[in-house]
Amino acid sequence: MLWRKLRYLLPSRRRAEEIEIYEELKSLKELAQPGELGNLTLAAEDARAAFTWIWLERLGQDLRYALRSMVHNKTFTALAMLSLALGIGANTATYSFMESILLRTLPVPDPKSLVVMKWRAKNFASVATSMSMSTGGTHTDPGGGTVGTELPYSTLKLFQSNKDILSSAFCYFVSDNLSVTASENTDALTGQYVSGDYFRGMGVRPAAGRFILPADDEAGTAAVAVLSLRFSAQRFGDPSLAVGQLIRINDKPFTVIGVAPPEFFGAEPGYVPDIYVPLHATLLLSPATALTGMAQRYQDRNFYWIEVMGRLNPGVSLAQAQAVLAPQFHRFVEESASNERERSDLPELMVTEGATGLDSLRRHYAKPVVVLMGMAGLILLVACANIANLLLARAAARRREIAVRLSMGASRLRVIRQLLTESVLLALLGGALGVAVAAWGIRALTLLLANGRDNFTLHAGLNWTVLNFTIVLSVLTGLVFGLAPAIHGTGFDVMPALKQMRTTMLAGKSRRTRNSLTLGRSLVVAQIAFSFLLLVAAGLFLRTLSNLHAINLGFNREGVLLFTIKPQTIGYSGPALNRLYTDLQQRLSKAPGVRSVSLSIRSLPTGGGSLVPVVAPGAQLLSGLPSGGPQTNRVGFLAVGPVFFETMQIPVIAGREFNEHDMTGSPLVAVVNERLVKILGMDAPVGHTVAIGKTSYQIVGVVRDAVFMAIRDDPRPMIYVTYLQNVRPPAQMTYELRTLGNPIRQANTVRQIVRQVDSRLAISDLGTLTAHIDQAISQEITLARLCTVFAVLALLIACVGLYGTVAYNVERRTSEIGIRLALGAQRIAIVWVVLREVFALALVALAIGVPMALAGSSYLKSLLFGIEPTDPIAISVALAILFTSGLIAGYLPARRASRIDPMTAIRHE
Amino acid sequence: MEPLHGLLDMLVLRTLVLGPLHGYGVAKSIRSISNEALEIEFGSLYPALKRLELKGWIASKWETSEHNRPAKFYRLTSAGKKKLRQEHSEWLKFASAITRIMGAAPEGQE
Repeated sequence: MLWRKLRYLLPSRRRAEEIEIYEELKSLKELAQPGELGNLTLAAEDARAAFTWIWLERLGQDLRYALRSMVHNKTFTALAMLSLALGIGANTATYSFMESILLRTLPVPDPKSLVVMKWRAKNFASVATSMSMSTGGTHTDPGGGTVGTELPYSTLKLFQSNKDILSSAFCYFVSDNLSVTASENTDALTGQYVSGDYFRGMGVRPAAGRFILPADDEAGTAAVAVLSLRFSAQRFGDPSLAVGQLIRINDKPFTVIGVAPPEFFGAEPGYVPDIYVPLHATLLLSPATALTGMAQRYQDRNFYWIEVMGRLNPGVSLAQAQAVLAPQFHRFVEESASNERERSDLPELMVTEGATGLDSLRRHYAKPVVVLMGMAGLILLVACANIANLLLARAAARRREIAVRLSMGASRLRVIRQLLTESVLLALLGGALGVAVAAWGIRALTLLLANGRDNFTLHAGLNWTVLNFTIVLSVLTGLVFGLAPAIHGTGFDVMPALKQMRTTMLAGKSRRTRNSLTLGRSLVVAQIAFSFLLLVAAGLFLRTLSNLHAINLGFNREGVLLFTIKPQTIGYSGPALNRLYTDLQQRLSKAPGVRSVSLSIRSLPTGGGSLVPVVAPGAQLLSGLPSGGPQTNRVGFLAVGPVFFETMQIPVIAGREFNEHDMTGSPLVAVVNERLVKILGMDAPVGHTVAIGKTSYQIVGVVRDAVFMAIRDDPRPMIYVTYLQNVRPPAQMTYELRTLGNPIRQANTVRQIVRQVDSRLAISDLGTLTAHIDQAISQEITLARLCTVFAVLALLIACVGLYGTVAYNVERRTSEIGIRLALGAQRIAIVWVVLREVFALALVALAIGVPMALAGSSYLKSLLFGIEPTDPIAISVALAILFTSGLIAGYLPARRASRIDPMTAIRHE
Repeated sequence: MEPLHGLLDMLVLRTLVLGPLHGYGVAKSIRSISNEALEIEFGSLYPALKRLELKGWIASKWETSEHNRPAKFYRLTSAGKKKLRQEHSEWLKFASAITRIMGAAPEGQE
């Protein structure tokens, strides 16, 4: 039927049908008595209505009329479209992020058939005696217990043997940064070890060359690599040129066999590997000291380290796969358990949907994105209320026009439809503008979220899913803000409206006018209340941010440049490592503009770290230390180099810090912080001995507390040792340079000096300490900035709305004010009369908004730091800002009211 | 049950069960079968025919009329037959419901 009807949209088809009807009726007329058939023209007309799209024609009329009326009211159209563009733009941009983070499926064929293997355990699955958490996939489940994605290598064979369930099972392992030397340049790249079936299972096609095959993924085969398109283009230009090139990874030769397609990024959104190598290349790339351990990983049934995915055979459901695979997995873990404790907490297999990849990024960003979406939604609501208000005012001005249409016989429904067409058209145009706003907003948001990381690739963008969302949102918006004014603007007696000409219409004291005032006022109240919510949220996030910035880190974060090198990956070992570290430190210290240089095995607050048991003389176990669980004897441990405390500006309050004389052969020394001294209960710690495990150290200095590992946590008790006394020289080193002036200016100097020392050395994480710390709190920074922008936007829109309503009221009451003035009212009293209304509106809005804010803000609790969701300062500042802006918006029309000339105003009537 | 909606459509479909008819024929047929009780305006009947044709319940074809003149004849399609059966049973339910309510001729006080 639809198809048949659609054909009649063709003009030729329509003409043919009309001729047909004419012919038929003519033939029937000859059969019947004259006049028996009645009005044949009307019959033909009605018949035509059956197959033409009458509503489409009417829509065309409505649209033409709407456009004309929009062009007619340029100011209104511009204002409305602007606030809609901002509102819809903010929503579209936020939604595109939500889509890319939470909803989008992997860019591979048939993503629906992919599955991710996970396990769940009551506690921590102690059967997993070793675990390598490369992706952060293991986490405490909100429902209790632990959920993990890492699995032993032998489970891969188990899954692969179920050919009737899984067409393929494959795995990957996220590597540390790899030093890749290609065409004379060395970069630290994010890499991924993949099993031989990985690319076949993913089902993607290479941009050039071929992918890694099962035959490549065996111990002792030729070393091959697949590059990302980005990296291959950067180094070799066209992808086909990259194939066959010889590159060095961690100073081992590899052959490039293929290039991945541009959209492919593996299984984890937000994380884009630049190089893929076979899983067994871990054996080639591990440093000699770790080789045995790495080889054992492949056999060890208790070492959980690979991420396993699979592809279901057609027709096999998730539940079926679960039913078949879970018992097999259960037998596997049962056999791998070696004691009662392990057997009591065996992990259970969960076969989960893999269409959107692994969900570590989603877990991390889901809440902030939902919060942002809510805020963007509030802005749009404010904009909607505002436009509804403008429309309401306009409906008053258009009353005569509408009365004419009604009296000419248009049905009320038809007029409402006309008005709704206008508002939906307005919203769609606003939405189109909003897409432009969003395009800009997405770029700004990406910058905000990336926060300096150059490998941040979320690929948020305007795709069809997002655009569909925008279109639906626009239409809904148009209906929401258009419906009330349309219904309201058409329900009145036609005759009085027709008789009343322009002048007195506004001053009418009919019930209808009062109703329209009430509706208008409630819309303003809604705007103020929603803006208040956004202001409170912005206040909470800003306070969180300033709390995070105000944390006493214990060192001076300004003016420090950091970078990391991993010389072991290119063959350094033993004493050569330490010689390199010292040499580089000395060369860097001599660079102009550098005040002091130190080094540590990890960057202080953000590089992670390890905890060790520390025993004081007298050998009593420490108690009352932070961190729960049975092990309370955990002290932060960091190996540093000479002048570390001077460079970081951590005050030494007793004794001395490390120098170049503390080295292999000299007595083992340690520096402790105040907190450790206090816990150990020592009066004069310098000169005393402490032990880490069985190794004793002499305390040579005491320093003030500094944060370690997590900046949100309180400083821990700490023990520092010097790397020069390590039994085995550290495989990697982070350098700290305290500079004169902006540290980032030394970046090129650093690159030059490192290249002079060894051109094969890759530099990673080069950046200022401030930037490193900001990255650790990037989520809070983003939320605070965005929320502030959103709140300011909403406040602006609400103020325009408030101004409009008050101004409209002043105009309506012109004659009343004139009479008051003529009777001797003070001008200040008039201002008060007008402002009183502003206050009343604001108070009602706050009476609604404050409880809403109190109830809603508890949802934000986990995103805040150092304050409660009901923070009185954030709330009172929001109150103050709201009242001030309200006063300014209300004062302008109030002042105009007080300047009314009484005589003119009275004659006005 | 929406009783009166589509009543005309139902009558047209029922009339065409007897065989193909042109537009005027349908009007005459309804009038004569109902013993002249139902007078359907041709102005309403003709759009109804077009509507039913669009829905695919009836189909039309130019043929020669009883007066040897060309006329467009409408016949019931299989979809139309199905529709008619459905309409018919609904009508029976409706009619019996009305009959139960109305009962015999009322004998109220006058």
